[in-house]
Amino acid sequence: MKYQTQKVAYAYFLVAMGLFAIQVLGGLIAGWIYVSPNFLSELLPFNVVRMLHTNALVVWLLLGFFGAAYYLIPEESEREIYSEKLAYLQLIILVIGTLGAVLTYVFNPFPGNYLLGMQGREFIEQPTWVKLGILVAALIFLFNITMTVLAGRKTAISNVLLVGLWLLSLLWLFAFINPDNLSLDKMYWWFIVHLWVEATWELVMASILAFLLLKLTGVDREIVEKWLYVIVSTALFSGILGTGHHFYWIGLPGYWQWIGSIFSTLEVIPFFLMMSFAFVMVWKGRRNHPNKAALLWSLGASTVAFFGAGVWGFLHTLHGVNFYSHGTQITAAHGHLAFYGAYVATNLAIMSYAIPHLRGRDPYNQVLNMAAFWLMTGGMAFMTFVLTFAGTIQTHMQRVLGENFMEVQEGLSLFYMMRFGSGLAVVIGALLFIYSMMVPRRELLTKGTDVPVAGE
Amino acid sequence: MYPLPYPEPALLQARDGTMSSAHSEQPRTGLETLPGDLIMWVLIVSELLVFGAGLLAFMAMRLTDPVGFAEAQDQLFRTGAALNTLVLLTSGYLAAKALHWRRAGIGLRPQLALIAAALLGVLFLWIKGVEYAHKAAQGITFETHPFFMFYYGLTGFHAAHVVVGVVLLLLVAWRDDPDNIEAAAAFWHMVDLVWVLLFPIVYLLG
Amino acid sequence: MSEILTKSRARNIFYGGSLFFIAIFGVLSVQSHRYVVNTSTAGMPLSEEVILGKHVWERNSCINCHTLHGEGAYFAPEVGNVMTRWGVQDEPEEAYEMLDGWMAAQPTGIEGRRQMPFFDLTEEETRGLAEFLRWADQTDLQGWPPNDAG
Repeated sequence: MKYQTQKVAYAYFLVAMGLFAIQVLGGLIAGWIYVSPNFLSELLPFNVVRMLHTNALVVWLLLGFFGAAYYLIPEESEREIYSEKLAYLQLIILVIGTLGAVLTYVFNPFPGNYLLGMQGREFIEQPTWVKLGILVAALIFLFNITMTVLAGRKTAISNVLLVGLWLLSLLWLFAFINPDNLSLDKMYWWFIVHLWVEATWELVMASILAFLLLKLTGVDREIVEKWLYVIVSTALFSGILGTGHHFYWIGLPGYWQWIGSIFSTLEVIPFFLMMSFAFVMVWKGRRNHPNKAALLWSLGASTVAFFGAGVWGFLHTLHGVNFYSHGTQITAAHGHLAFYGAYVATNLAIMSYAIPHLRGRDPYNQVLNMAAFWLMTGGMAFMTFVLTFAGTIQTHMQRVLGENFMEVQEGLSLFYMMRFGSGLAVVIGALLFIYSMMVPRRELLTKGTDVPVAGE
Repeated sequence: MYPLPYPEPALLQARDGTMSSAHSEQPRTGLETLPGDLIMWVLIVSELLVFGAGLLAFMAMRLTDPVGFAEAQDQLFRTGAALNTLVLLTSGYLAAKALHWRRAGIGLRPQLALIAAALLGVLFLWIKGVEYAHKAAQGITFETHPFFMFYYGLTGFHAAHVVVGVVLLLLVAWRDDPDNIEAAAAFWHMVDLVWVLLFPIVYLLG
Repeated sequence: MSEILTKSRARNIFYGGSLFFIAIFGVLSVQSHRYVVNTSTAGMPLSEEVILGKHVWERNSCINCHTLHGEGAYFAPEVGNVMTRWGVQDEPEEAYEMLDGWMAAQPTGIEGRRQMPFFDLTEEETRGLAEFLRWADQTDLQGWPPNDAG
């Protein structure tokens, strides 16, 4: 750690890891409800569990991104953060908002209230006051980071990161737009959901990866930054019109079927480039950084993102296929692997890299951390396969043969049991990751020991 | 070029066991032998992929309804499109000449050629606009027939590129570094090429 | 000497190209907005009842079990076409009675069956919800879903 204010990132990472634990435990409960449907059905119904699962995910990923920005921007700009106080204030607002959202979901104290009540649009169920809090926090963050970058050295990494964060914050404004017309509601809703995960977040992911590869491989900055622009160009060029793949069946014009199919097929390209870029950089780089775990997570993130977001996304993105598979377990399979690979793993990569610095220790406990990687990645991969099979069967029985939804679901129970098992592996991996970051004090491996790195 | 400012010397260790300088020569990749700027090639290849996919989809859809597509196609304004082909090709020629003249260092000629090329681009858009207005007046929208969905989609997306091309040509007439002109001309040729593909497939082939 | 890939040009193409696609996306969004209002959802008026129903749908977080037009959780059946499935799409009164009866019977408590919670709705709210679901059902979804199973 070269700059004192990078310490802010540590607080963000801590909260993020806490929410990560809550998220995966929520997922585990939801997975168990699929196996044993009466579980908690009166106390904590499935819809509440799912809100906790998805919201905790989004919030912790964002906290991780904020933390990553506070960690890497000082190094990129060669400056302390503009205001450490504002950074903590932002975190406090986000934590209060998160607690408020959780309490609202679980106890629903103000049903129907616009300002205080749960709002009930998928993923943006937060009460309006929490949404406003998120907006304020985002503005504080942008102000703080932009002031830091403007005062210091401007690099492509900080540039792309800033563009991504500015755009995603601007898009958040659509969270306040809820038309009475359901089809319009859905259209504008995707402006947030799609343009976050398939456009702006990709910029954040690419810049974090570029930063990590720069640090871990010692490849020349000029090369890393040029390729960063190429990658993020392909991400936005394909991703913006790729939004069309969500517009097929929600009441929008038919031309989206072609625009969506063509552009979202090209969305594979940025993920392929990111993966190739990561491997080529490691191969070309002439240095062995002792933080093998961070390297493993970086390569793992780009690889699993390629499979989860790229390949599994493409599987059902063409409108002829999507007509049958839309809204089945195939979507769930894709969603899990894509989020895990692209965003969870990227966050865990930057944490694996930064936390040892932030705590003033050598990169440590890599065996545990790497075991956590394989446990989580293996579990997630298995879950994806299981849900893909379940979704294929569901598509055939329900969409082609026209059998009743609940009867088809009962036929899938074996898959849901296996999904629960793979989810358990993910949860153990996640807890192991947090443990390896926080608890052990001694280095278990000698420095420079060659541990083979591999992606999926 | 940035120096590598924080090599974390304690952590970084060369694979051969020695500490290496951060400034030593980087390995070159095969891509560095391509002419022109690589990013232009990335752009051009991705554009061709998009238009290629769009045209393939169009032709595949035509197989499902050849009669309907042929009837719809007969309503198009072929003379205008043929004229537009000439306009764009002339414009592309001027852009190429501009680069040539700029490299040869001939006075104001490159600027004039670029402005003329841009004006021809505007003429293209005007003719296209007349064509669209005519269709709209006949009540033909993208919903009339799948043919027209592709017609509006493909030619509209191409026209959007022409708009960008015109802006780029004017921009490099002003900032007339030869590399800039080369990049703009490359983009403009790509727009040309796409039209030369679109024109026969959308307007002529039955 | 011109470099193979200059960072400034890569950056300019990134910005310029993104603006280009944002502009196209904006134009298409405006067109789509008008299409939704004037064409695809124009078959039934967007009445106060429908709007109330949408709010009932939202404040009870229905989307986190069901799907609506294929979006949502995949835990419970699609409801974008539930009125068609029940055969009451053109009968507002029967749609209300059917829905009211269904809601009142939840949760079933049957062992091993997925449970829908009990929602304490007023008659007005239930009527709104029924109208909202009928309104959603009449939307032109380009032929989706493939069959009534949703």
